[in-house]
Amino acid sequence: MEFDFSPVITYFPTLLKGVGATLLIGLVVALMSIIGGQIVAVISLYTRKVVNWPLRFLIWLFMTTPLLLQLYFLYFGLGQWILIPAIAVGVLGLGFHYMAYNADIFIATIKSVSSGQYEASRSLGFGHLATLFYIILPQAFHRAIPQLGNNMIIMVKDISVLSAIGIAELVYLSQYAISVTFRPFEFYITIAVIYYLINLLMETGQSWIERRAAARR
Amino acid sequence: MTQATDTPMVELKGVKKRFGDLEVLKGIDLKIDRGKIISIIGPSGSGKSTLLRSINNLEMIDEGSILLDGVQVNRPDLKGLAFERHINHIRQNMGMVFQHFNLFPHLSTLENVTLAPRKLKGVDARSARELGMELLERVGLADKASVYPSSLSGGQKQRVAIARALAMRPKVMLFDEATSALDPELVEEVNQVMKHLAEEHMTMLIVTHEMAFARDVSDWAMFMDGGVVIEENTPDHLFSHPDQERTCHFLRKHLGNPG
Repeated sequence: MEFDFSPVITYFPTLLKGVGATLLIGLVVALMSIIGGQIVAVISLYTRKVVNWPLRFLIWLFMTTPLLLQLYFLYFGLGQWILIPAIAVGVLGLGFHYMAYNADIFIATIKSVSSGQYEASRSLGFGHLATLFYIILPQAFHRAIPQLGNNMIIMVKDISVLSAIGIAELVYLSQYAISVTFRPFEFYITIAVIYYLINLLMETGQSWIERRAAARR
Repeated sequence: MTQATDTPMVELKGVKKRFGDLEVLKGIDLKIDRGKIISIIGPSGSGKSTLLRSINNLEMIDEGSILLDGVQVNRPDLKGLAFERHINHIRQNMGMVFQHFNLFPHLSTLENVTLAPRKLKGVDARSARELGMELLERVGLADKASVYPSSLSGGQKQRVAIARALAMRPKVMLFDEATSALDPELVEEVNQVMKHLAEEHMTMLIVTHEMAFARDVSDWAMFMDGGVVIEENTPDHLFSHPDQERTCHFLRKHLGNPG
Protein backbone atom coordinates (compact mmCIF):
# COMPACT_ATOMS: atom_id res chain seq x y z
CA MET A 1 0.00 0.00 0.00
CA GLU A 2 1.19 3.40 -0.92
CA PHE A 3 -0.23 6.65 0.35
CA ASP A 4 0.02 9.89 -1.51
CA PHE A 5 -1.41 12.88 0.29
CA SER A 6 0.00 15.46 -2.12
CA PRO A 7 -3.29 15.72 -4.10
CA VAL A 8 -5.02 16.41 -0.79
CA ILE A 9 -2.63 19.27 -0.20
CA THR A 10 -3.16 20.55 -3.74
CA TYR A 11 -6.92 20.48 -3.30
CA PHE A 12 -6.91 21.64 0.31
CA PRO A 13 -8.19 25.14 -0.59
CA THR A 14 -11.16 23.43 -2.29
CA LEU A 15 -11.78 21.35 0.83
CA LEU A 16 -11.60 24.49 2.97
CA LYS A 17 -14.30 26.03 0.79
CA GLY A 18 -16.36 22.95 1.56
CA VAL A 19 -15.69 23.36 5.27
CA GLY A 20 -16.80 26.99 5.01
CA ALA A 21 -19.99 26.01 3.20
CA THR A 22 -20.72 23.26 5.73
CA LEU A 23 -20.19 25.58 8.68
CA LEU A 24 -22.26 28.37 7.14
CA ILE A 25 -25.13 26.01 6.32
CA GLY A 26 -24.78 24.56 9.82
CA LEU A 27 -25.05 27.98 11.42
CA VAL A 28 -28.14 28.97 9.43
CA VAL A 29 -29.83 25.61 10.05
CA ALA A 30 -28.94 25.74 13.76
CA LEU A 31 -30.48 29.20 14.16
CA MET A 32 -33.51 28.27 12.12
CA SER A 33 -34.14 24.96 13.87
CA ILE A 34 -33.59 26.31 17.39
CA ILE A 35 -35.67 29.47 17.02
CA GLY A 36 -38.27 27.66 14.91
CA GLY A 37 -38.28 24.73 17.33
CA GLN A 38 -39.20 27.03 20.20
CA ILE A 39 -41.98 28.65 18.19
CA VAL A 40 -43.36 25.28 17.13
CA ALA A 41 -43.19 24.04 20.74
CA VAL A 42 -45.04 27.09 22.07
CA ILE A 43 -47.71 26.85 19.38
CA SER A 44 -48.26 23.16 19.92
CA LEU A 45 -48.48 23.58 23.70
CA TYR A 46 -50.53 26.74 24.00
CA THR A 47 -52.94 26.94 21.07
CA ARG A 48 -56.19 25.26 20.11
CA LYS A 49 -56.25 21.85 18.48
CA VAL A 50 -57.20 23.29 15.09
CA VAL A 51 -53.85 25.06 15.00
CA ASN A 52 -51.57 22.61 16.76
CA TRP A 53 -52.76 19.28 15.38
CA PRO A 54 -51.68 20.00 11.79
CA LEU A 55 -48.40 21.22 13.23
CA ARG A 56 -47.93 18.09 15.28
CA PHE A 57 -48.70 16.05 12.16
CA LEU A 58 -45.95 17.89 10.27
CA ILE A 59 -43.47 17.28 13.11
CA TRP A 60 -44.41 13.63 13.08
CA LEU A 61 -43.93 13.50 9.31
CA PHE A 62 -40.45 15.03 9.49
CA MET A 63 -39.42 12.73 12.33
CA THR A 64 -40.61 9.47 10.80
CA THR A 65 -39.18 9.79 7.29
CA PRO A 66 -35.53 9.83 6.18
CA LEU A 67 -33.85 13.18 5.60
CA LEU A 68 -32.65 12.09 2.15
CA LEU A 69 -36.21 11.26 1.10
CA GLN A 70 -37.40 14.65 2.34
CA LEU A 71 -34.72 16.40 0.31
CA TYR A 72 -35.51 14.38 -2.82
CA PHE A 73 -39.18 15.12 -2.36
CA LEU A 74 -38.62 18.86 -2.00
CA TYR A 75 -36.09 19.09 -4.81
CA PHE A 76 -37.14 16.52 -7.42
CA GLY A 77 -40.72 15.83 -6.28
CA LEU A 78 -41.87 19.40 -6.09
CA GLY A 79 -39.42 20.09 -8.92
CA GLN A 80 -41.97 18.62 -11.32
CA TRP A 81 -43.88 21.86 -10.92
CA ILE A 82 -41.66 24.37 -9.24
CA LEU A 83 -37.88 24.48 -9.20
CA ILE A 84 -36.58 25.63 -5.83
CA PRO A 85 -32.83 26.40 -5.78
CA ALA A 86 -30.88 23.48 -4.29
CA ILE A 87 -29.37 25.57 -1.51
CA ALA A 88 -32.85 26.73 -0.43
CA VAL A 89 -34.13 23.14 -0.47
CA GLY A 90 -31.07 22.02 1.50
CA VAL A 91 -31.30 24.66 4.19
CA LEU A 92 -35.10 24.50 4.50
CA GLY A 93 -35.20 20.70 4.40
CA LEU A 94 -32.49 20.29 7.00
CA GLY A 95 -33.94 23.22 8.99
CA PHE A 96 -37.44 21.75 9.15
CA HIS A 97 -36.09 18.28 9.88
CA TYR A 98 -34.15 19.48 12.92
CA MET A 99 -36.83 22.00 13.86
CA ALA A 100 -39.06 19.00 14.45
CA TYR A 101 -36.48 17.31 16.68
CA ASN A 102 -35.74 20.52 18.58
CA ALA A 103 -39.44 21.28 19.03
CA ASP A 104 -39.79 17.88 20.65
CA ILE A 105 -37.08 18.78 23.15
CA PHE A 106 -38.56 22.20 23.89
CA ILE A 107 -42.02 20.74 24.44
CA ALA A 108 -40.55 18.48 27.12
CA THR A 109 -38.45 21.17 28.83
CA ILE A 110 -41.23 23.79 28.77
CA LYS A 111 -43.48 21.25 30.48
CA SER A 112 -40.76 20.59 33.05
CA VAL A 113 -40.74 24.20 34.32
CA SER A 114 -42.87 24.13 37.46
CA SER A 115 -46.29 25.77 37.63
CA GLY A 116 -44.96 27.73 40.61
CA GLN A 117 -42.76 29.70 38.21
CA TYR A 118 -45.80 30.60 36.14
CA GLU A 119 -47.80 31.62 39.20
CA ALA A 120 -44.98 33.70 40.65
CA SER A 121 -44.67 35.64 37.41
CA ARG A 122 -48.41 36.13 37.04
CA SER A 123 -48.68 37.26 40.66
CA LEU A 124 -46.20 40.06 39.89
CA GLY A 125 -48.54 41.27 37.15
CA PHE A 126 -46.94 39.73 34.06
CA GLY A 127 -49.40 38.52 31.43
CA HIS A 128 -49.44 35.05 29.91
CA LEU A 129 -47.19 35.89 26.95
CA ALA A 130 -44.78 38.00 29.00
CA THR A 131 -44.50 35.11 31.46
CA LEU A 132 -43.67 32.72 28.64
CA PHE A 133 -41.12 35.11 27.21
CA TYR A 134 -39.32 36.25 30.37
CA ILE A 135 -39.75 33.28 32.69
CA ILE A 136 -40.71 29.97 31.08
CA LEU A 137 -38.82 29.94 27.78
CA PRO A 138 -35.42 31.03 29.17
CA GLN A 139 -35.58 28.24 31.75
CA ALA A 140 -36.79 25.73 29.18
CA PHE A 141 -33.90 26.80 26.96
CA HIS A 142 -31.29 26.24 29.68
CA ARG A 143 -32.67 22.78 30.30
CA ALA A 144 -32.65 21.99 26.58
CA ILE A 145 -28.99 22.85 25.99
CA PRO A 146 -27.48 19.34 26.39
CA GLN A 147 -29.94 17.71 23.99
CA LEU A 148 -29.89 20.66 21.60
CA GLY A 149 -26.12 20.39 21.43
CA ASN A 150 -26.32 16.71 20.59
CA ASN A 151 -28.88 17.38 17.88
CA MET A 152 -26.74 20.12 16.35
CA ILE A 153 -23.69 17.87 16.28
CA ILE A 154 -25.68 15.20 14.43
CA MET A 155 -27.09 17.92 12.15
CA VAL A 156 -23.65 19.10 11.06
CA LYS A 157 -22.79 15.56 9.99
CA ASP A 158 -26.12 15.34 8.15
CA ILE A 159 -25.16 18.35 6.02
CA SER A 160 -23.15 15.82 3.97
CA VAL A 161 -26.50 14.43 2.77
CA LEU A 162 -27.03 17.70 0.90
CA SER A 163 -24.34 16.57 -1.57
CA ALA A 164 -27.10 14.35 -3.01
CA ILE A 165 -28.86 17.40 -4.41
CA GLY A 166 -25.63 18.98 -5.61
CA ILE A 167 -24.78 21.42 -2.86
CA ALA A 168 -21.04 22.20 -2.81
CA GLU A 169 -20.35 21.33 0.79
CA LEU A 170 -17.39 19.37 2.15
CA VAL A 171 -18.29 15.87 0.94
CA TYR A 172 -19.48 17.10 -2.46
CA LEU A 173 -16.26 19.01 -3.12
CA SER A 174 -14.14 16.06 -2.03
CA GLN A 175 -16.03 13.88 -4.54
CA TYR A 176 -15.01 16.35 -7.17
CA ALA A 177 -11.37 16.32 -6.05
CA ILE A 178 -11.39 12.52 -5.99
CA SER A 179 -12.80 12.31 -9.49
CA VAL A 180 -9.86 14.37 -10.69
CA THR A 181 -7.07 12.83 -8.62
CA PHE A 182 -8.23 9.20 -8.08
CA ARG A 183 -7.09 9.20 -4.43
CA PRO A 184 -10.37 8.41 -2.57
CA PHE A 185 -8.69 6.80 0.45
CA GLU A 186 -6.54 9.81 1.29
CA PHE A 187 -9.38 12.27 0.76
CA TYR A 188 -11.91 10.34 2.83
CA ILE A 189 -9.43 9.98 5.69
CA THR A 190 -8.75 13.70 5.58
CA ILE A 191 -12.42 14.55 5.57
CA ALA A 192 -13.08 12.19 8.46
CA VAL A 193 -10.40 14.02 10.44
CA ILE A 194 -11.94 17.37 9.52
CA TYR A 195 -15.39 16.17 10.71
CA TYR A 196 -13.80 14.87 13.89
CA LEU A 197 -12.23 18.28 14.55
CA ILE A 198 -15.52 20.11 13.93
CA ASN A 199 -17.19 17.69 16.31
CA LEU A 200 -14.53 18.21 18.95
CA LEU A 201 -14.93 21.96 18.67
CA MET A 202 -18.70 21.75 19.01
CA GLU A 203 -18.51 19.42 22.00
CA THR A 204 -16.08 21.77 23.73
CA GLY A 205 -18.38 24.69 23.04
CA GLN A 206 -21.37 22.76 24.27
CA SER A 207 -19.81 21.77 27.58
CA TRP A 208 -18.65 25.37 28.10
CA ILE A 209 -22.22 26.63 27.58
CA GLU A 210 -23.59 23.84 29.79
CA ARG A 211 -21.25 24.78 32.61
CA ARG A 212 -22.36 28.40 32.38
CA ALA A 213 -26.03 27.44 32.33
CA ALA A 214 -25.72 25.01 35.23
CA ALA A 215 -25.73 27.77 37.86
CA ARG A 216 -28.98 29.12 36.49
CA ARG A 217 -31.13 26.05 36.86
CA MET B 1 -56.63 54.31 42.60
CA THR B 2 -56.42 56.56 45.65
CA GLN B 3 -59.42 56.09 47.85
CA ALA B 4 -60.65 57.62 51.05
CA THR B 5 -58.59 56.24 53.89
CA ASP B 6 -61.59 54.55 55.49
CA THR B 7 -61.99 52.20 52.52
CA PRO B 8 -60.67 48.81 53.61
CA MET B 9 -57.51 47.83 51.74
CA VAL B 10 -58.91 44.38 51.07
CA GLU B 11 -62.51 43.33 51.38
CA LEU B 12 -64.10 39.95 50.70
CA LYS B 13 -67.85 39.47 50.62
CA GLY B 14 -69.46 36.05 50.55
CA VAL B 15 -66.59 34.42 48.66
CA LYS B 16 -67.32 30.89 47.50
CA LYS B 17 -65.01 28.55 45.61
CA ARG B 18 -65.59 25.03 44.36
CA PHE B 19 -63.13 22.48 42.98
CA GLY B 20 -65.53 20.21 41.09
CA ASP B 21 -68.03 18.97 43.63
CA LEU B 22 -65.95 20.04 46.58
CA GLU B 23 -66.78 23.44 48.01
CA VAL B 24 -63.53 24.70 49.57
CA LEU B 25 -64.70 28.21 50.46
CA LYS B 26 -68.25 28.40 51.73
CA GLY B 27 -68.93 32.09 51.92
CA ILE B 28 -66.03 34.04 53.41
CA ASP B 29 -66.25 37.66 54.59
CA LEU B 30 -63.06 39.46 55.43
CA LYS B 31 -61.91 43.03 55.81
CA ILE B 32 -58.35 44.29 56.15
CA ASP B 33 -57.93 47.97 56.97
CA ARG B 34 -54.86 49.69 55.61
CA GLY B 35 -51.73 49.10 57.63
CA LYS B 36 -53.29 46.17 59.47
CA ILE B 37 -52.11 42.59 59.64
CA ILE B 38 -54.42 39.63 59.65
CA SER B 39 -53.30 36.06 60.22
CA ILE B 40 -55.28 33.05 59.13
CA ILE B 41 -54.64 29.75 60.84
CA GLY B 42 -56.29 26.40 60.41
CA PRO B 43 -55.64 22.75 59.55
CA SER B 44 -54.50 21.59 56.10
CA GLY B 45 -57.37 21.57 53.65
CA SER B 46 -59.27 24.22 55.59
CA GLY B 47 -59.25 26.48 52.56
CA LYS B 48 -56.93 29.15 53.96
CA SER B 49 -54.40 28.93 51.11
CA THR B 50 -57.18 28.87 48.53
CA LEU B 51 -58.62 31.98 50.13
CA LEU B 52 -55.30 33.79 49.91
CA ARG B 53 -54.76 32.68 46.30
CA SER B 54 -58.29 33.81 45.42
CA ILE B 55 -57.48 37.35 46.43
CA ASN B 56 -55.12 37.84 43.49
CA ASN B 57 -57.11 35.48 41.30
CA LEU B 58 -54.62 32.63 41.15
CA GLU B 59 -57.82 30.77 41.99
CA MET B 60 -60.93 32.14 40.33
CA ILE B 61 -63.84 32.41 42.77
CA ASP B 62 -67.32 31.17 41.87
CA GLU B 63 -69.39 33.59 43.94
CA GLY B 64 -69.00 36.72 46.00
CA SER B 65 -66.72 39.67 45.47
CA ILE B 66 -63.18 40.73 46.29
CA LEU B 67 -62.13 44.38 46.46
CA LEU B 68 -58.64 45.83 46.61
CA ASP B 69 -58.68 49.41 47.87
CA GLY B 70 -62.26 49.76 46.63
CA VAL B 71 -61.59 48.27 43.20
CA GLN B 72 -63.21 44.98 42.34
CA VAL B 73 -60.70 42.20 41.67
CA ASN B 74 -62.99 39.46 40.37
CA ARG B 75 -64.86 40.67 37.33
CA PRO B 76 -67.20 38.02 35.92
CA ASP B 77 -68.30 40.61 33.35
CA LEU B 78 -64.83 40.80 31.75
CA LYS B 79 -63.75 38.05 29.37
CA GLY B 80 -60.51 37.04 27.68
CA LEU B 81 -57.97 39.77 27.06
CA ALA B 82 -60.02 42.44 28.82
CA PHE B 83 -59.92 40.42 32.02
CA GLU B 84 -56.24 39.62 31.50
CA ARG B 85 -55.40 43.32 31.30
CA HIS B 86 -57.55 44.07 34.34
CA ILE B 87 -56.06 41.33 36.50
CA ASN B 88 -52.47 42.09 35.47
CA HIS B 89 -53.00 45.65 36.64
CA ILE B 90 -54.61 44.54 39.92
CA ARG B 91 -51.84 42.05 40.62
CA GLN B 92 -49.20 44.75 40.31
CA ASN B 93 -50.67 46.19 43.50
CA MET B 94 -50.44 42.95 45.45
CA GLY B 95 -47.29 41.19 46.56
CA MET B 96 -47.49 37.42 46.89
CA VAL B 97 -45.01 35.24 48.75
CA PHE B 98 -45.18 31.50 48.18
CA GLN B 99 -44.38 28.52 50.37
CA HIS B 100 -41.81 27.26 47.88
CA PHE B 101 -40.32 30.71 47.10
CA ASN B 102 -40.61 30.30 43.31
CA LEU B 103 -37.61 32.51 42.64
CA PHE B 104 -36.64 32.67 38.97
CA PRO B 105 -33.56 30.41 38.79
CA HIS B 106 -32.28 31.85 35.50
CA LEU B 107 -32.00 35.36 36.94
CA SER B 108 -29.60 36.71 39.52
CA THR B 109 -30.93 37.75 42.91
CA LEU B 110 -30.96 41.39 41.86
CA GLU B 111 -32.61 40.61 38.51
CA ASN B 112 -35.31 38.65 40.34
CA VAL B 113 -36.15 41.83 42.22
CA THR B 114 -35.85 44.27 39.33
CA LEU B 115 -37.50 42.31 36.50
CA ALA B 116 -41.09 43.35 37.28
CA PRO B 117 -40.43 47.08 37.85
CA ARG B 118 -38.32 47.23 34.69
CA LYS B 119 -40.68 45.37 32.38
CA LEU B 120 -44.04 46.33 33.88
CA LYS B 121 -43.43 49.87 35.08
CA GLY B 122 -40.73 50.81 32.58
CA VAL B 123 -38.29 51.78 35.32
CA ASP B 124 -34.88 52.41 33.69
CA ALA B 125 -31.99 50.05 34.42
CA ARG B 126 -30.19 52.38 36.83
CA SER B 127 -33.19 53.29 38.97
CA ALA B 128 -34.26 49.64 38.98
CA ARG B 129 -30.81 48.67 40.21
CA GLU B 130 -30.97 51.26 42.98
CA LEU B 131 -34.43 50.10 43.98
CA GLY B 132 -33.33 46.46 43.87
CA MET B 133 -30.24 47.07 45.99
CA GLU B 134 -32.27 49.07 48.50
CA LEU B 135 -34.77 46.21 48.84
CA LEU B 136 -32.05 43.57 49.09
CA GLU B 137 -30.47 45.73 51.77
CA ARG B 138 -33.77 45.72 53.63
CA VAL B 139 -33.91 41.93 53.67
CA GLY B 140 -30.21 41.76 54.53
CA LEU B 141 -28.99 40.26 51.26
CA ALA B 142 -27.28 43.13 49.43
CA ASP B 143 -24.09 41.06 49.32
CA LYS B 144 -25.91 38.34 47.35
CA ALA B 145 -27.12 40.63 44.57
CA SER B 146 -25.16 38.97 41.78
CA VAL B 147 -25.53 35.32 42.73
CA TYR B 148 -28.15 32.95 41.35
CA PRO B 149 -30.92 31.50 43.54
CA SER B 150 -29.44 27.98 43.40
CA SER B 151 -26.65 29.08 45.73
CA LEU B 152 -28.95 30.59 48.38
CA SER B 153 -30.34 28.88 51.49
CA GLY B 154 -34.10 28.49 51.85
CA GLY B 155 -34.35 31.40 54.24
CA GLN B 156 -32.34 33.62 51.91
CA LYS B 157 -34.50 32.57 48.97
CA GLN B 158 -37.65 33.54 50.81
CA ARG B 159 -36.17 36.91 51.79
CA VAL B 160 -35.34 37.58 48.13
CA ALA B 161 -38.89 36.52 47.22
CA ILE B 162 -40.21 39.10 49.69
CA ALA B 163 -37.96 41.77 48.18
CA ARG B 164 -39.18 40.78 44.72
CA ALA B 165 -42.80 41.22 45.80
CA LEU B 166 -42.02 44.57 47.45
CA ALA B 167 -40.36 45.89 44.30
CA MET B 168 -43.76 46.63 42.75
CA ARG B 169 -44.64 48.79 45.79
CA PRO B 170 -47.73 46.70 46.55
CA LYS B 171 -50.65 47.94 48.62
CA VAL B 172 -50.93 44.60 50.35
CA MET B 173 -48.66 41.63 50.89
CA LEU B 174 -50.05 38.09 50.83
CA PHE B 175 -48.00 35.41 52.57
CA ASP B 176 -48.92 31.82 51.74
CA GLU B 177 -47.22 29.72 54.43
CA ALA B 178 -44.00 31.58 53.80
CA THR B 179 -42.00 29.63 56.38
CA SER B 180 -43.57 26.17 56.09
CA ALA B 181 -40.94 24.81 53.70
CA LEU B 182 -38.00 26.11 55.74
CA ASP B 183 -35.73 24.29 58.14
CA PRO B 184 -36.62 25.38 61.69
CA GLU B 185 -33.40 27.36 62.15
CA LEU B 186 -34.15 29.44 59.03
CA VAL B 187 -37.69 30.44 60.02
CA GLU B 188 -36.59 33.27 62.28
CA GLU B 189 -34.75 35.29 59.62
CA VAL B 190 -37.87 35.33 57.44
CA ASN B 191 -40.08 36.20 60.40
CA GLN B 192 -37.75 39.10 61.19
CA VAL B 193 -38.20 40.53 57.71
CA MET B 194 -41.98 40.21 58.04
CA LYS B 195 -41.84 41.93 61.43
CA HIS B 196 -39.95 44.85 59.90
CA LEU B 197 -42.67 45.15 57.28
CA ALA B 198 -45.25 45.17 60.05
CA GLU B 199 -43.40 47.99 61.78
CA GLU B 200 -43.51 49.94 58.52
CA HIS B 201 -47.30 49.48 58.50
CA MET B 202 -47.48 47.30 55.44
CA THR B 203 -50.95 45.80 55.04
CA MET B 204 -50.54 42.05 55.26
CA LEU B 205 -52.55 38.86 55.08
CA ILE B 206 -50.62 35.94 56.50
CA VAL B 207 -51.55 32.29 56.17
CA THR B 208 -49.31 30.45 58.58
CA HIS B 209 -48.63 27.50 60.85
CA GLU B 210 -46.42 29.63 63.10
CA MET B 211 -48.80 30.28 65.97
CA ALA B 212 -46.38 32.26 68.12
CA PHE B 213 -45.44 34.49 65.22
CA ALA B 214 -49.07 35.04 64.20
CA ARG B 215 -49.95 36.00 67.75
CA ASP B 216 -47.00 38.32 68.02
CA VAL B 217 -47.34 40.21 64.77
CA SER B 218 -51.06 40.31 63.91
CA ASP B 219 -53.77 42.84 64.64
CA TRP B 220 -56.47 40.27 64.01
CA ALA B 221 -56.50 36.49 63.79
CA MET B 222 -58.88 34.10 62.07
CA PHE B 223 -59.31 30.39 62.47
CA MET B 224 -60.61 28.56 59.40
CA ASP B 225 -61.79 25.01 59.02
CA GLY B 226 -63.81 23.24 56.34
CA GLY B 227 -64.04 26.32 54.14
CA VAL B 228 -65.57 28.62 56.75
CA VAL B 229 -64.23 31.08 59.30
CA ILE B 230 -64.93 29.33 62.60
CA GLU B 231 -63.77 32.14 64.80
CA GLU B 232 -61.99 35.49 64.58
CA ASN B 233 -60.77 37.83 67.23
CA THR B 234 -57.75 39.73 68.50
CA PRO B 235 -54.78 37.37 68.57
CA ASP B 236 -54.58 37.51 72.35
CA HIS B 237 -58.16 36.43 72.69
CA LEU B 238 -58.12 33.84 69.89
CA PHE B 239 -54.94 32.16 71.03
CA SER B 240 -55.56 32.34 74.79
CA HIS B 241 -59.31 32.04 75.17
CA PRO B 242 -60.81 30.62 71.97
CA ASP B 243 -64.58 30.55 72.10
CA GLN B 244 -65.06 27.56 69.82
CA GLU B 245 -64.31 23.96 70.64
CA ARG B 246 -62.72 23.35 67.20
CA THR B 247 -60.35 26.27 67.65
CA CYS B 248 -59.44 24.97 71.08
CA HIS B 249 -58.81 21.50 69.71
CA PHE B 250 -56.65 22.82 66.85
CA LEU B 251 -54.56 25.06 69.10
CA ARG B 252 -54.07 22.28 71.62
CA LYS B 253 -52.66 20.09 68.88
CA HIS B 254 -50.35 22.83 67.58
CA LEU B 255 -49.30 24.58 70.77
CA GLY B 256 -49.59 21.81 73.27
CA ASN B 257 -51.43 24.17 75.64
CA PRO B 258 -55.08 23.94 76.62
CA GLY B 259 -55.87 27.39 75.30
